[in-house]
Amino acid sequence: MNGKPTFSEEVSNLLYASEGNPLKMCIQCGTCSATCPSAPFMDYTPRRLIGMINADMREQVLNSNAYWFCASCFHCSVRCPQEIDIAGLMYALKRYSMWKNLYKEDLIGPTFSETFVKTIINGGRSYEPILATSYLFSYGVQTFLMEAQNATSLMLKGRIPILPTRIKRLKNFRRVIGRIIPVGGAE
Amino acid sequence: MTQQKRLLIIDDDPDFVEGIKAILDAAQYNVDVAYNPKSGLQALQTGNYDLLLLDIMMGRGAEGVMIARKMRKDPKLREMPVLIITGIREQIAFLFPGGPMHPRFVEVDELVEKPVEPRLLLEKVSTLLATVEAKKAK
Repeated sequence: MNGKPTFSEEVSNLLYASEGNPLKMCIQCGTCSATCPSAPFMDYTPRRLIGMINADMREQVLNSNAYWFCASCFHCSVRCPQEIDIAGLMYALKRYSMWKNLYKEDLIGPTFSETFVKTIINGGRSYEPILATSYLFSYGVQTFLMEAQNATSLMLKGRIPILPTRIKRLKNFRRVIGRIIPVGGAE
Repeated sequence: MTQQKRLLIIDDDPDFVEGIKAILDAAQYNVDVAYNPKSGLQALQTGNYDLLLLDIMMGRGAEGVMIARKMRKDPKLREMPVLIITGIREQIAFLFPGGPMHPRFVEVDELVEKPVEPRLLLEKVSTLLATVEAKKAK
């Protein structure tokens, strides 16, 4: 490949292993936007986002909150008549903005994902009380108290463990992880 | 230098590639670039390169690691020196609890962290090439 790739080519490089068709095949039918449960919360709908990527509007795409609001329900990918993997695209954009440190400061998504991966690597299981701290404080006192109340009653009923649980043979699990991502200390 | 050395860069960050390519071009190396792991691997298999400069975080995730592993299994590519250039510690710092991280996950020869000092980069490249020459001479 010669010449500096454009933004849309960069995105397609991120999606090189995706099973979906290239974004250039989008016919702007809007099926993805119509089927998206998160679309009302997004500043640009998935259809517009694809259009903007194809038009190389890098700044606007990266400043958009759309891909962070994706709930990964994969309805768009399933229903796309051109068989584009739109949910995969949303993940690609998340990676892109995280690798380049281009995401907005006040976003919950990046910290949430990081905390999630961290708890999984440490114990092999997700642990809600730690996970919740990554976003809980950004919602104000009232929500915090409500969440705390909920969590307490769940804990009393044994629905949330008081201490983080660890899976058996954690070492083996970390070795599996180490094969996918370079975890420090893992073989 | 008797013969111009051929280098291959596999990295998905065009701005970074432009930077190191300029440095290496100025040092009289013949540099090729691949912007995604797939075309990178193809280039490796078809072209005849003396050294590979490899990024870790590409495509779906740690694709650089996958490439290095595939190279290790390939008898033709096994001998090729690899210089890993990555900002990985910065990106997923939490995965590395202190200590210098040497990439034990692949059989690579060197690791440089982004951002790269031009002098350091050239130094590492020439040492790696020299080591391989010495190995061949044996």
